[in-house]
Amino acid sequence: MFGLLEEAGFKRVRSTVVPGFTFRKQSTRDAAEAYGVKAVLFTAQKPAT
Amino acid sequence: MTDSAVLHAEEQGSLEAVIKGEVLRMYQEVAEHPEGEFHFHHGRLAAELFGYEREWLDRAPPGAVASFAGVGNPHLRSRLQPGETVLDLGSGAGLDSIIAAWQVGPTGRVMGLDLNPTMCRKAEAHAAASGVRMACHEGRMEDIPLPDASVDVVISNGVINLSFRKRRVIHELFRVLKPGGRLSITDIVSAKQLSQSIVNDPKLWAS
Repeated sequence: MFGLLEEAGFKRVRSTVVPGFTFRKQSTRDAAEAYGVKAVLFTAQKPAT
Repeated sequence: MTDSAVLHAEEQGSLEAVIKGEVLRMYQEVAEHPEGEFHFHHGRLAAELFGYEREWLDRAPPGAVASFAGVGNPHLRSRLQPGETVLDLGSGAGLDSIIAAWQVGPTGRVMGLDLNPTMCRKAEAHAAASGVRMACHEGRMEDIPLPDASVDVVISNGVINLSFRKRRVIHELFRVLKPGGRLSITDIVSAKQLSQSIVNDPKLWAS
């Protein structure tokens, strides 16, 4: 996502992991951990000119 | 386009349609039966976990709070100002739109976008019950039904990961934002390429 935002032309792209995000079921949590799945907050700005 | 490329495109289109149906079904289920069990945390518990202010959750209609199905809190960095125009991409039952509307005030404007017309009407009803207005557009995030450079801020919460064409979605966000406009979105990302069996499973897309 970070790369896609920069590729589209966004500037000041920032990301931070959402603390506390988790799936309810253990099986989903295990799969998510194996694939490095995280919730992330992204901010970005479209250039003014 | 070669025959195999056409076949691949047809298969991709078919899978996308199935996944779209499953996603619609799942989020409608959350809205209509928020007491149900889902793969993800939802409702007030999830919103509090992500740092939504208690005052917001006490003030918003219970139905909007109970159906909250986000993955984080885009309001933490949205820096919304009175008078701004906001697009809530994937507005669902409307909680994020309502919170945005409180921040931009009566001189601002909040528009939602959702695949599901029933959810749009529900979000608008929740907004009206909160004393604010939001106009929800039924549509796809890959083809946002708004003019170029018409939005100051885009917020979104756990929606873009549901698209087959994320690059297209991001380009649409860039298009609808005014010069100098900004976005604050929370979403699910994966550090590793998902296996084809996961990518092809509509139930996992919807979870």
